[in-house]
Amino acid sequence: MKTELRGNSNTSISLQNPSTLFSNPQSSLSGALNGCLGSLDGACIEKLLLHCASALEHNDGTLAQQVMWVLNNVASLVGDPNQRLTSWFLRALISRASKVCPTAMNFDGGSTIWRRNMPVTELAVYVDLIPWHRFGFCASNSAILKAIEGYSKVHILDFSITHCMQWPTLIDALAKRAEGAPSLRITVPSCRPPVPPFLNVSSEEVGLRLSNFAKFRDLPFEFNVIDHGPSSFTSRDQIMSKESSRDLYFESLLNHLTPSMLDLRDDEALVINCQNWLRYLSDEQRGSNVQDSSLRDAFLCTVKGFNPCIVVVVDEDSDLSAPSLSSRITACFNYLWIPFDALETFLLKDSSQRFEYESDIGHKIENIISFEGVQRIERLESGIKLSQRMRNAGFSSVSFCEDTVGEVRSLLEEHASGWGMKIEEDHMLVLTWKGHNSVFSTAWVRNASMQD
Amino acid sequence: MPVDLDNSSTASGEASVSSTGNQPPPPPQQPPSKSAATAKKKRNLPGMPDPEAEVIALSPKTLLATNRFVCEICNKGFQRDQNLQLHRRGHNLPWKLRQRSSKDVKKRVYVCPEPTCVHHDPSRALGDLTGIKKHFCRKHGEKKWKCDKCSKKYAVQSDWKAHSKICGTREYKCDCGTLFSRRDSFITHRAFCDALAEESARAQPHTPNPNPKPIKESDPKVQVESSPPPAPLPPPVAPDFGSDQGQAPPGLAQSTGMISSPVLAIQSPELPDNPPQFIEEAPAPAPTPTPATVTAGFNGSFGSGTSSSSNGSSTSSVFASLFASSTASGNLQAPQSPAFTDLIHAMAHPDRPTDLAPSSIEPISLCLSTNQGSSIFGTAGQERRQYAPPPQPAMSATALLQKAAQMGAAATNASLLRGLGIVSSSSSSAQPDNMQWGQRQMEPENSSVTAGLGLGLPCDGGSGLKELMMGTPSVFGPKHATLDFLGLGMAAGGSPSGGLSALITSIGGGLDVAAAAAASFGGGEFSGKDMRRS
Repeated sequence: MKTELRGNSNTSISLQNPSTLFSNPQSSLSGALNGCLGSLDGACIEKLLLHCASALEHNDGTLAQQVMWVLNNVASLVGDPNQRLTSWFLRALISRASKVCPTAMNFDGGSTIWRRNMPVTELAVYVDLIPWHRFGFCASNSAILKAIEGYSKVHILDFSITHCMQWPTLIDALAKRAEGAPSLRITVPSCRPPVPPFLNVSSEEVGLRLSNFAKFRDLPFEFNVIDHGPSSFTSRDQIMSKESSRDLYFESLLNHLTPSMLDLRDDEALVINCQNWLRYLSDEQRGSNVQDSSLRDAFLCTVKGFNPCIVVVVDEDSDLSAPSLSSRITACFNYLWIPFDALETFLLKDSSQRFEYESDIGHKIENIISFEGVQRIERLESGIKLSQRMRNAGFSSVSFCEDTVGEVRSLLEEHASGWGMKIEEDHMLVLTWKGHNSVFSTAWVRNASMQD
Repeated sequence: MPVDLDNSSTASGEASVSSTGNQPPPPPQQPPSKSAATAKKKRNLPGMPDPEAEVIALSPKTLLATNRFVCEICNKGFQRDQNLQLHRRGHNLPWKLRQRSSKDVKKRVYVCPEPTCVHHDPSRALGDLTGIKKHFCRKHGEKKWKCDKCSKKYAVQSDWKAHSKICGTREYKCDCGTLFSRRDSFITHRAFCDALAEESARAQPHTPNPNPKPIKESDPKVQVESSPPPAPLPPPVAPDFGSDQGQAPPGLAQSTGMISSPVLAIQSPELPDNPPQFIEEAPAPAPTPTPATVTAGFNGSFGSGTSSSSNGSSTSSVFASLFASSTASGNLQAPQSPAFTDLIHAMAHPDRPTDLAPSSIEPISLCLSTNQGSSIFGTAGQERRQYAPPPQPAMSATALLQKAAQMGAAATNASLLRGLGIVSSSSSSAQPDNMQWGQRQMEPENSSVTAGLGLGLPCDGGSGLKELMMGTPSVFGPKHATLDFLGLGMAAGGSPSGGLSALITSIGGGLDVAAAAAASFGGGEFSGKDMRRS
């Protein structure tokens, strides 16, 4: 959309030496706005962002500042979706710029965006604001239900960032199961990636509430937390550096993913649920040898070894982990407009719900743009690439049955009319907003033919 | 991939697209015309597997036209030609159904004619004709249809019908009194609702504490085992990477709550409104048992168990004062402004409360707001936060850049930081080690860019003020007239940077886009193969 710029319209402008045809290779702004006569639209903003990033990378403070100034006049947290998006992007760029000289700022890798902790009931509303999460919940739960037919015991290993919001509907469905309710165990890691949404209670408390609910529905239920965190980290000061502790977190998690530590039982149907989570596992090669796979691949290999009944993977359908900052900015800008646009359709510009949701996206933007290395934890991978990765790891995809597809469609019908769904290659369900891919949902089983 | 240029003159040089999908600038403004397709060009569309899709821009008239095909006999109108042809059979008129020509398999996408719309941009085009029609009607059309049960209005009749069908038909009610129209939200809420927790607590005579013991059902068949939390509450050892806001154990939250209540008092009176506002707006407020929960939650938000809360509040009030417009409601005072170093430290080390020294601040110098009266949302006496000044009259990109260049040249004396008295015009005292921005920037009058940028970064000290979150980043300062909002003293030593002047020149006189763009990305970073559309 074209965004209205703000400024004093009556100021007289005098051109500075217009005949200076600048041939400096760093004449960056020239291309950016060529053609944008009038107002700035998404493409122009994107170019400005790219120019700014480029200026930062070339240490061109003047230019960066000028571009930022222009962007600053476009950005607004309470404007139209493009303005809001620009605002978060600009913030991320500034955050990045300030890291160039880390001496004065002792940013410990944490985000500058403050985000409060929500009570559980608020989180329940949050995840249903737009179908972004509920789509994945619905498709995955439906696939899980199908996969565990015939089993009387189910164990779910839940790796997600939404604090078990997925499970009440599954518990409800299991309780009503025609063949009788199975018993259900849910196991979660003790730590989660430091990303919003943040809850004001512990995982244990969440598990407690789920237990209550399951009891209320007469479903035998157990909730366990894998206690794998390095236990010496009781206060922030003891965490020597965020980087290494992050690595340690995932490494230690992997070390704790063993059948004995997880108490895997033979008569149980094992379900691996990865919901907006795989992207936090590093996709970089861990070592120089060919066989040193990435953490992500190692995780997949580990869970495959448990011989799960089904592995459901839901994540955001975009490749946002390219090494090049410019690519990331472009991809990010052309993807994250989607939730901003969706929220615009039914929430007012001053809605606090909307703002909080958007600021969580801003958190993601900041991580993608202003961090590098291990601190850049948002390593989104599109559905197509993820599917390839799963296949490489020895999984084959499972199609979603008609009932599932129908359920998802009726879910989407109850939301704003821009939401849609399509079925792509490899039985992948994709949530679309006005035709653009947003979230993908997949289900996998271990290849029967693979020998390990 | 080949570029398909339209023979119309509008395409001009802008239609050239590299194979990797760099974006050409959008088409120039065109008056709505009666013809169906006015511009065609190729774009890579995110999410669209077909990069050869053709972009079509229809006029508003075309999009809104409902019955374009009219029967000459009875004047009945039809939306589609096919339907008209079928109707003509009834009059025994010659009719002919047009087959979809097999060579016309090119995928088409449609853009919205409304220039301010997000879908005006070809990269946000919609994939089908019906979609863009409905979009245009819904978004930019008049909402003529109104639901009589609730007050929702619709521009498209089918939307209205669809809504009326479900409005009020299905309602799920939680014990806490909240209503839901969707079953899954109802179930999810119910599972976590306090009402359920209380009910189960009531059901067990010996229970209610946050550390439940496993409760065995009397019915031996149902082995319900609530596993006790492995880690006692408080505190679970949950290292939180990178953010203060981890999962605050409730116990800790309570104690933090004690600490932060006085802090609450310092805040603007708007503050206590905030969580209830959220809950209010949501369809799921839990009116009864939640005051405790809300408070706990809210207090828990003031830094998870660290002492950041007090710091947060002071920093936040600083920011609130910095960025509030001068007409902000009285509760956003500008009582203090931190010394600059303190501010930076506050943000860098949010768990160390800092003393923020007051200084005399002219609120007026803080904000550039020219619009003194109206809040953005038009309602006076809005008890919610006021942000930085509401949008000012539109300014063209050209003018903006020219202004940027112009201001760069002039010595500025009203920079944001200067206005705060933070940056002295002499060499910076706060940050002796100025950030080195390459060779260009070492000007004696600088404060460090870091510092300047640092100011723009909202604190993460656990502030609860929405106005902080909204006011601060909304502008990183008000929409300042000066280029020096980052506090560099002089943006470019005396003359506009080459970049800007080149830009202005190019807008005026057509620099070669490709060359400039390519040159600007020096190292070829912006290489197409890195660009991927999801």
